[in-house]
Amino acid sequence: MSDASVPAVELRDVVKRFDDVVAVDHVSLQIAPGEFFALLGPSGSGKTTTLRMIGGFELPTEGEVLIEGEPQGYKPPYQRPVNTVFQNYALFPHMTVAQNIAFGLEMRGVPKDEIRRRVGEMLNLVRLSGYEKRRPHQLSGGEQQRVALARALINQPKVLLLDEPLGALDLKLRKAMQLELKAIQEQVGITFVYVTHDQEEAITMADRIAVMNHGRVLQVGPPPEVYEQPRTLFVADFIGETNFIPVEVLRVGSTVEVLTAGGARLQAGWAEPSLNAGAPAVAAVRPERMWLHRPNTAPEGGPWNRVEGIVRHVIYHGLDIRYEIHLAGECSLHVRLPVGRGDADVFQRGEHVIVVWPSEATRVFRRDS
Amino acid sequence: MNDALRRYPALRAWLLLAPSFLWLLLFFIIPLGIIVVYSFLQRDVYGGVVWKWSLDNYRRVFDPLYFKTFLYSLWIAFLTAFFSLLFGYPLAYFIATRPEKTRNALVLALMIPFWTNFLVRTYAWLTLLRTNTGLINVWLMQWGLLDKPLPLFGNTFAITLGLVYGWMPDMILPIYAALEQIDHRLLEAAEDLYASGWQVFRRVIWPLSLPGVVAGTMLVFIPSLGAFVTPAILGGGKRLMIGNVITNQFLGAHDWPFGSALSVLMMAVMLLATLVYFRTGGDRAGQGGL
Ligand SMILES: Nc1ncnc2c1ncn2[C@@H]1O[C@H](COP(=O)(O)OP(=O)(O)O)[C@@H](O)[C@H]1O
Ligand SMILES: [Mg+2]
Repeated sequence: MSDASVPAVELRDVVKRFDDVVAVDHVSLQIAPGEFFALLGPSGSGKTTTLRMIGGFELPTEGEVLIEGEPQGYKPPYQRPVNTVFQNYALFPHMTVAQNIAFGLEMRGVPKDEIRRRVGEMLNLVRLSGYEKRRPHQLSGGEQQRVALARALINQPKVLLLDEPLGALDLKLRKAMQLELKAIQEQVGITFVYVTHDQEEAITMADRIAVMNHGRVLQVGPPPEVYEQPRTLFVADFIGETNFIPVEVLRVGSTVEVLTAGGARLQAGWAEPSLNAGAPAVAAVRPERMWLHRPNTAPEGGPWNRVEGIVRHVIYHGLDIRYEIHLAGECSLHVRLPVGRGDADVFQRGEHVIVVWPSEATRVFRRDS
Repeated sequence: MNDALRRYPALRAWLLLAPSFLWLLLFFIIPLGIIVVYSFLQRDVYGGVVWKWSLDNYRRVFDPLYFKTFLYSLWIAFLTAFFSLLFGYPLAYFIATRPEKTRNALVLALMIPFWTNFLVRTYAWLTLLRTNTGLINVWLMQWGLLDKPLPLFGNTFAITLGLVYGWMPDMILPIYAALEQIDHRLLEAAEDLYASGWQVFRRVIWPLSLPGVVAGTMLVFIPSLGAFVTPAILGGGKRLMIGNVITNQFLGAHDWPFGSALSVLMMAVMLLATLVYFRTGGDRAGQGGL
């Protein structure tokens, strides 16, 4: 059935307005069959609304939602080949685990024997065999989550929509469930559209991520691409940890050069296309790309950026040591160095250092974006 | 004293509760005790009480004359609860599904008529229902829609109507409260799982509103069983309920011991009904974990 050339889900220029609030603003997406696709963004960025339009709980004000190439128009949720795992699960409190899971099949008139068999299979899949007779309030958060998953998956939807499914769980359980969810998705091969505001979760689980803000999709791509090549200041800031250095653009084009407030010249691998020479901008660098040197050992020349600074804080984190380096011009950088390379690699508070990083790891953004 | 209170929090609770206990004891438990004691005594010829123990009063209760009235009262209470539920549930559902502001206004509107005295409202029904001079029959005959008045008064219909009217809010409010608490995402989840509108109601909304239905039914059934104002006025003196018989024993026939026995029996039936009802319906609904 699932033809690889037809997207499992496609949004064409979709807009959703609630009175004067634009919840979703001209969003276009293509999600491939079998893909684990994350919608990532801060609260209020329009993720839930986007998901609800795919599910049929909201209808687009403009644009079109297609599932397996078929325009969904005004179809209600139960006529779409999708199922939803709701935020906070929405399990039926008056039904047992088995009754909850069986609900969808029962509504479609599937014979009793088959229902029993498939409920058993589902309980196996989510590792809840023996929990048939329990009620939702007798389950832990993680168990409720798995029941919600089983209740949706038993209907064999083409696409499963999940709205912050792990949002209510504590950190440790969330990590475990992330792996479990991912494993289940690979096992059943169903397309997952997964809403989360947790960038780490999106990065660990998804095949591709769409980063949303203010109802707009800012960037779509596989996690390494979104992480390493953010195309807006918002994406660079929202995903992972980033150092921002206020700069002025000196040169754009095949090579990008900027000037820091402290007077250092930096080369950058990439600059936002709309930037011109003279414009105020921000240079962004991931902390793990940076190194510290003592002034006498710093490399000269080559494809490196160098700035001088003073060690302000040293924080030991087990696997690494995090340094806060104060630069001239009211700016500080976070640098993360692995622990355990011995010798003189530990720097002291107050020490003069040179921060060094590859020029290509520098990305320059418009200050207002 | 203060130290003692701090050391024994239970003591403080008891002191705070003491006035309520005293009140209950004086005006509730003692009169109840008196009634129970009276029901085992005998009347004297002048309407007083003779301190001679006997079970005669309870034997008389099962006299077909009284026992039939008793069954009739049960029947009326059942009808009242049934029709209150039939009409009250949709209304509660309607109110619970309005936007919040409208909801509060509607609940208020529901209660406003009940700020008027019950007796006055029941007499208002009288002017509408009376067989020959009641407004409904008069108008229907004036417009030539009828040539004989409808039997709207002095019968089971009139009494049930009056009671349903009187106790309807006690049915609607608990159901409304239960419905209002239902998480709308449960309805979306059911819809997502292919339930039709009717199935969403039957499988999700109804079971989750059962605690309200159980509470509402009891709140209507019990006062209807003991009603005496409504049957006295709308029954037209022709149909009596057990409440009228009891009133009559105390005020007319001056047979307090027999009136007490009837009261005790009625209370026993109410208690039994409550226990049985909450055990079956109430428990099943309660498992929802609401
Ligand atoms: N039913 C609604 N009525 C009015 N505004 C809404 C409604 N649903 C969402 N919004 C608004 O749309 C925006 C996006 O909301 P939502 O999609 O829930 O964001 P997210 O899931 O990313 O937190 C928010 O500003 C929110 O207040
Ligand atoms: Mg949301």
